Amino acid sequence: MLDGYLPAKLSEALDMMAECDCIPFAGGTDLMVQHARGSGVRPCFDKTLLFVSALKELKTFDLMGKTLRIGAAVTLSELLENAATPQIFKEILRQMAAAPTRHMATLAGNICNASPAGDTLPYLYAMDAEVILQSRNETRVLPVADFITAPKRTQRKNDELLTGIRIPAAEFNVESYRKLGQRKGMSLTKASFLGLASTANGRIEDIRIALGSVAPHIVRSRKIESKLTGKNIKDIPGILQELQKDYSALIRPIDDARSTAAYRKQVSLRLIRDFLINCMLKKIP
Amino acid sequence: MKTGISKAVERTDARKKIRGEAEYIADRHFEEQLYAKTIRSSKAKARILEIRLPEMPADYFAVGRNDVPGLNRMRTVVSDHPIFAEEQVEYIGQPLFLLVGPDREKLCDLADMVNIRYEEEAGVFTLEEAEKQDTVFTDYQYRKGDPAAAFRDAAQIIEEEFRTGYQEHAYLEPQGIAAEYRNGILYVYGSMQCPYYVRNALLETMAIPDKQIRIIQTVTGGAFGGKEEFPSLTACQVAVAAKKTEKPVMMIYDRDEDIRCSTKRHPSLIRCRAALDKNNAVTGLEMDVLLNAGAYNGLSPVVLQRALFSATGVYDIPHLRVRGRNYRTNMTPSGAFRGFGAPQSIFAIEMLMLQIAVRLGEDPLEYKMRHALKQGSQTCTGGKVREEVKLPEIVGKIRKMSAYVKKQKNKKPFSGIGASLFLHGCGFTGRGESDIRGKVILSKDKDSVTLRVSSVEMGQGAETVLRKIVAQSLDIPIEKVNYAQVDTGAVPDSGPTVASRTTMIVGGLLQECAKEMKARWRECDRLEIEKVYQHPSWLHWDDSTFQGDAYPVYSWGANIAEVEVDPISYEISVKKIYAVYDVGVPVDLRTLDGQMQGGIAQGIGWATIELMEGEAGRLKQSNLTDYKVPTSMDTPEMEIAYVNNPYPYGPFGAKCAGELPFVGSPPAVAAAVSDALGRKINYIPLTPESLMESDNED
Ligand SMILES: Cc1cc2nc3c(=O)[nH]c(=O)nc-3n(C[C@H](O)[C@H](O)[C@H](O)COP(=O)(O)OP(=O)(O)OC[C@H]3O[C@@H](n4cnc5c(N)ncnc54)[C@H](O)[C@@H]3O)c2cc1C
Repeated sequence: MLDGYLPAKLSEALDMMAECDCIPFAGGTDLMVQHARGSGVRPCFDKTLLFVSALKELKTFDLMGKTLRIGAAVTLSELLENAATPQIFKEILRQMAAAPTRHMATLAGNICNASPAGDTLPYLYAMDAEVILQSRNETRVLPVADFITAPKRTQRKNDELLTGIRIPAAEFNVESYRKLGQRKGMSLTKASFLGLASTANGRIEDIRIALGSVAPHIVRSRKIESKLTGKNIKDIPGILQELQKDYSALIRPIDDARSTAAYRKQVSLRLIRDFLINCMLKKIP
Repeated sequence: MKTGISKAVERTDARKKIRGEAEYIADRHFEEQLYAKTIRSSKAKARILEIRLPEMPADYFAVGRNDVPGLNRMRTVVSDHPIFAEEQVEYIGQPLFLLVGPDREKLCDLADMVNIRYEEEAGVFTLEEAEKQDTVFTDYQYRKGDPAAAFRDAAQIIEEEFRTGYQEHAYLEPQGIAAEYRNGILYVYGSMQCPYYVRNALLETMAIPDKQIRIIQTVTGGAFGGKEEFPSLTACQVAVAAKKTEKPVMMIYDRDEDIRCSTKRHPSLIRCRAALDKNNAVTGLEMDVLLNAGAYNGLSPVVLQRALFSATGVYDIPHLRVRGRNYRTNMTPSGAFRGFGAPQSIFAIEMLMLQIAVRLGEDPLEYKMRHALKQGSQTCTGGKVREEVKLPEIVGKIRKMSAYVKKQKNKKPFSGIGASLFLHGCGFTGRGESDIRGKVILSKDKDSVTLRVSSVEMGQGAETVLRKIVAQSLDIPIEKVNYAQVDTGAVPDSGPTVASRTTMIVGGLLQECAKEMKARWRECDRLEIEKVYQHPSWLHWDDSTFQGDAYPVYSWGANIAEVEVDPISYEISVKKIYAVYDVGVPVDLRTLDGQMQGGIAQGIGWATIELMEGEAGRLKQSNLTDYKVPTSMDTPEMEIAYVNNPYPYGPFGAKCAGELPFVGSPPAVAAAVSDALGRKINYIPLTPESLMESDNED
């Protein structure tokens, strides 16, 4: 079955979401692959599609104070072209898929797909980003980390659309991102690491570490991060083992066609170590 | 080399492909055409107890073994693969029958409703299991000199074991084929390398005379050996369907279906024992080559032969004992793939020679060169190296290009440099060329000529190169030379488009035609000249003992690879490849560079990222999301040069070229990784996972 609506306005879209059980369809770069039945055959969806990528209300991109607000229909390419997009986020986006896919794919789709391998997620977790969920009668705001409950599961109710993403601003002077795939371009992530920190006078003021594809959810722990905040950088080596042990308990990867659990675990710990030792120590004045 | 035959011309197929005008089989539409969908075994080894079909709507058919008019076996070297499975299935994905009908979506729905009951049996999957259970298909041996004495008198014996993995061809265009009956004649159209193989298979399966069959090759978007024998199977299937339904039947594979069910490169396990004399020279070698042939033997025996006749690489080793076995497993059948068994052996011998040199504290390249074959040397099968072996010149050139010595000295941690030396036997193995007796026709109509061959353009440049050979031999513009549509009803059997034989053998025959035509150019407006391959009288080959000239001549090469290994993730970056080849005389430098660059990249893929593992009969990586071939980001800068060495019996002095680059890059990359990490490398692909794991064991 293949039925779809192309609403002209957001309110129309929300009406449809309220009245019938629809699948929101943005770039379709996940949906089309997941529902493919073979070449020359239409994909098979068990519900009506609601095409959201043409909704003007969702094409917005602005700064409210210091918070970046990204509409749900903004594509990854548009994010890459926008001057307001932080450099480290651009580095992440540039390593996603390739240009043709990025022209279609949206940030909202990457979030709602809720895959632990979703490449924008470590950044959104690290930045304490929030999603805006709208239904005909209600608007809610949830942290991305709460919105995603399990692989492929979110808190989105049947009648809700994700309409926007908010990323609060934060400044860092240490930034490190590594995406490991099976090859250098056009590859899904087998493990990823994001480390962000701001330091002053050899002290850590803020530090955020997030890892993708190495557990059923994105790994980020404020508890472990708090062991580092306020510390002198030169004291990191002394607590490194403890920190690695803490992270090791959270990193629970699997064996699959793209990598092994053992590799994912070890490489994650190595990346954490590299960030904490090699990247951070450079910041000792 | 920048002038004459080597000077690049515009590829004659380039414009229509770039403009999207080329018509591939999936672009065709036949009136009243039906589509075929293959229903496959979901079990690796089982007896079929029952097949329950859904009720078939009008115009929909199931086509299976009871509809096959002739032999239900695909004809090839060993004709053991059933066109449609009988009582027994031997691998996951084995074709059981076709569902045929006008609408592809409806076919998917019907396929979902098919119900099959199996009685499963224990399967055999890995080479280790196969060896233990002795499921051997083919067992070959040969020897040279007195290996027993070499090992008895050895000052040192070195033993190593090498492994290589599966590889998927990943041609851009998936398998596609169509069949129709028109005026009592069976027409088969499709993406293929060997139209006459397809015809010969149909003769037996359809049990009709050759006058009633025409095979027409459609524009072929890449093949790499994957369209050598496999289209014979699908052609027979659609032909049976077209006969039963009395309509044209089209079958186009989806990518994941293609990856799961078409042939792959043979995984190998190669055991080596080398005997060294007191001067540290390798005097004796025992090599035991095990190939995973999959569920049916097909053309695996010939793949095994090339693996065995490439056992010693470019080295002159006086005493040899070589054994090779193809094993039956319950995996999708392995088959032809660029290099055809040679890459597995060359990887083993190159890594073995490297390891011996490292162990002895010798420079690997110098150590290898001390063992190199020379003009007049005996080949591993006791044949004769007749051509001048330009390895010293090749190695001199590549050392200079790459600043090899300097780079070896100024090595940074986790970066490495490695070299490989290699050869490739040109044309068919053993008696192959004399059995096939390729035939070509060149005809003239006023001032333009047409060449008729069954050799196909599949992206490698055959059309350009063959037209160019004729044009330059006749001294006419290339536009005046037509390449006749490859249609078995209209072109002679010049042999299959395989074994790097097209330029050298088929091009050579065309050049002979052209020379004669030139002499008779003014005789009349119309003239047709036909030539048939004559095996040179000085070549000797005994198929029962594997003694003699396994190949008429060899092409040679050297590669130097520079790599960096990420110290945190163990990801390999191949930074640079230097390559020098002797392919006789390049027939077109741009086309040749294309072959070399592509072959190098495909070899890098096989050696580094192209992991494909079997898991109880299933391929774990069965789509292009999980199975990765190199992108431009993974492909290093390449510096490629040639050494001229005209082969008197090749057109304009050309030898073979298409497979050679594939053979060379994997051992060079592996040697560089070995150098970077300071450890032995005995397997490929060198995934970061495997490198990190073995690091933990150290
Ligand atoms: C070739 C290729 C390469 C890829 N490479 C990468 C990669 O490197 N990294 C990576 O992370 N991903 C990759 N992807 C996956 C995909 O492109 C991303 O996840 C992308 O961000 C999905 O966005 P989309 O707009 O296409 O989502 P869609 O496919 O349209 O939707 C995805 C999911 O989100 C839901 N959804 C979409 N919009 C809304 C909304 N407004 N409200 C509620 N629900 C919504 C849909 O219902 C669906 O469940 C790749 C995909 C392809 C085809």
